[in-house]
Amino acid sequence: MATITRTDEAEKVQVEEQVTRFDVHQIIQHAVLMVSFILLVVTGLPMKFSTAGISEWWVQIWGGISNIRAVHHTSAYVMVLVCLYHLIYIGYGMLVKKRPFPMWMVPSVADFVKLFQELAYFVGLRKEPPQFDRFNWREKFDYWAIFWGMPVMAGSGFILMFPVFATKYLPGWVVPVAYTAHSHEAMLAFTWIFFIHIFFNHFSPSVYPLNKSIFTGKVPRERYIKEHALEYERLTRVDEEKPEKEAVGTITRASQ
Amino acid sequence: MVKKGMRTNLKVVSIILLSAFTLATIASIVFSNSDTIALDENNCLSCHSNLNIEKKSTNGVLISLRISEKDVNRGAHRYIDCTTCHTTKPHEAKPALTKQSSAEKCGTCHKYEYKVHTQSIHGQQLQQGNQDVATCVDCHSPKADAHSVIRVLEYGAPTYKKNIAETCNKCHGNTELMQDYGLVERVYESYMRSFHGKAIGLSGYDITQLDAATCTNCHGVHDIKATADPTATVAGMDNLAKTCEQCHAGAGAEFARGFLGHKEASPKNIPIAYYVERFFNLLLLSVLGAGGIVLMGAVVRYSGNRWRK
Repeated sequence: MATITRTDEAEKVQVEEQVTRFDVHQIIQHAVLMVSFILLVVTGLPMKFSTAGISEWWVQIWGGISNIRAVHHTSAYVMVLVCLYHLIYIGYGMLVKKRPFPMWMVPSVADFVKLFQELAYFVGLRKEPPQFDRFNWREKFDYWAIFWGMPVMAGSGFILMFPVFATKYLPGWVVPVAYTAHSHEAMLAFTWIFFIHIFFNHFSPSVYPLNKSIFTGKVPRERYIKEHALEYERLTRVDEEKPEKEAVGTITRASQ
Repeated sequence: MVKKGMRTNLKVVSIILLSAFTLATIASIVFSNSDTIALDENNCLSCHSNLNIEKKSTNGVLISLRISEKDVNRGAHRYIDCTTCHTTKPHEAKPALTKQSSAEKCGTCHKYEYKVHTQSIHGQQLQQGNQDVATCVDCHSPKADAHSVIRVLEYGAPTYKKNIAETCNKCHGNTELMQDYGLVERVYESYMRSFHGKAIGLSGYDITQLDAATCTNCHGVHDIKATADPTATVAGMDNLAKTCEQCHAGAGAEFARGFLGHKEASPKNIPIAYYVERFFNLLLLSVLGAGGIVLMGAVVRYSGNRWRK
């Protein structure tokens, strides 16, 4: 639930308003996912491009192939655990904390429309970019891509780690299939994250050079209004009929 | 004044001494020869290390009789005198060694290896007079020359584990040569794409790191058999599974069936691996293509916005 907090710095007129976008669990989940992802990439890439001269050098920096393999496997376990943590977090929120189902993450037709509206804006066919709710189509894509990527990567990685065990219960072809799937899906995830995710979340003009919101959980109000206009409007709209409930979010003024 | 002059002289002398010392140190490093000296009881090398020692063979071809001192000093047999192989009257020995006679020569000491080699596909072909095959020196010397045979555990040795695949590739990568024997698979490339090849390629030269399989771990060393030979370690799923089990404890025939057989996956060779690869290629192309278009669009628009400001 987004809450909007307003903090006045003592004796100063400057007022910096921040909107809370992520809770502490989401911050931890992203941080652990990010660190394990980076470790998996830097230890996995030399395997993919093993004939490149730099790869052997890089593996030796880590103290040899058994070390780099241990880091790769450990990071993989961490990544699987953080994904389970996220599923438990969602389930706990809904079943115990009685939070509503996070409908705002579910892709809809509107997302496809906005994709094309945004493209139209980029090529100059629209004057203004489309307005987004809590999550724009890119954020939804990033999120749901993990639901595809994690089973593929963890499943194929498990087969590659324990090929003898896997072929006791599965046909032999799972090993070459896992090999090709692991390698290709890894390149897809790596390329997407390092080019598209990083560009839109850190290099776009409003946030360059680093968008801190996923690490602090907070977004400046000005930016929130721009980037999540629909949600902001929804949060701040005062319900005429039930004025005491003030819609979903709250604006609180905290002065020192 | 005198004192000052003396001090200047001392300075000059010390500078000269210091630079002389430095030069001498550098020179001794540059010109030092730390190589061991090969045993040469009859001073053969005093003539045979000359660059232009050569003789005309019976059919009029000039043959160099030069032996590289550097090679024999580094060689595995550097403490075996020349006459051990070349007889005590080398100038009376029959000339023109063949592949066969040279291998036999090695076999006079290395009896077991020679015997095993004669039973291998290379050795059997050799006995039939095939000159293409690998004999002792083809794998044990970087120059395919008996004088430069080096020990297996030397980093530069063609038989050092790190280098074995490349050594086999000297012949097995020659598509024209291999076509004569019906070996159409690009064995080296497929090996380097595999987990084993990648592990060896990334492992550096430390022998404790080089624990992945290379050619010889599956195909044998001196006793390499043709894959068509039913007694070969890689012939048929049962033999292959036994070979896998040497490292992968408990691997069964199903495990061995997952091996692509040095070929790329294709509609005929583990088709599902081929179609999964096609699927992922398509997925990557479409997703990254779409992402790339959006990214380029954003770059153009954001740059445009900034330009207009």
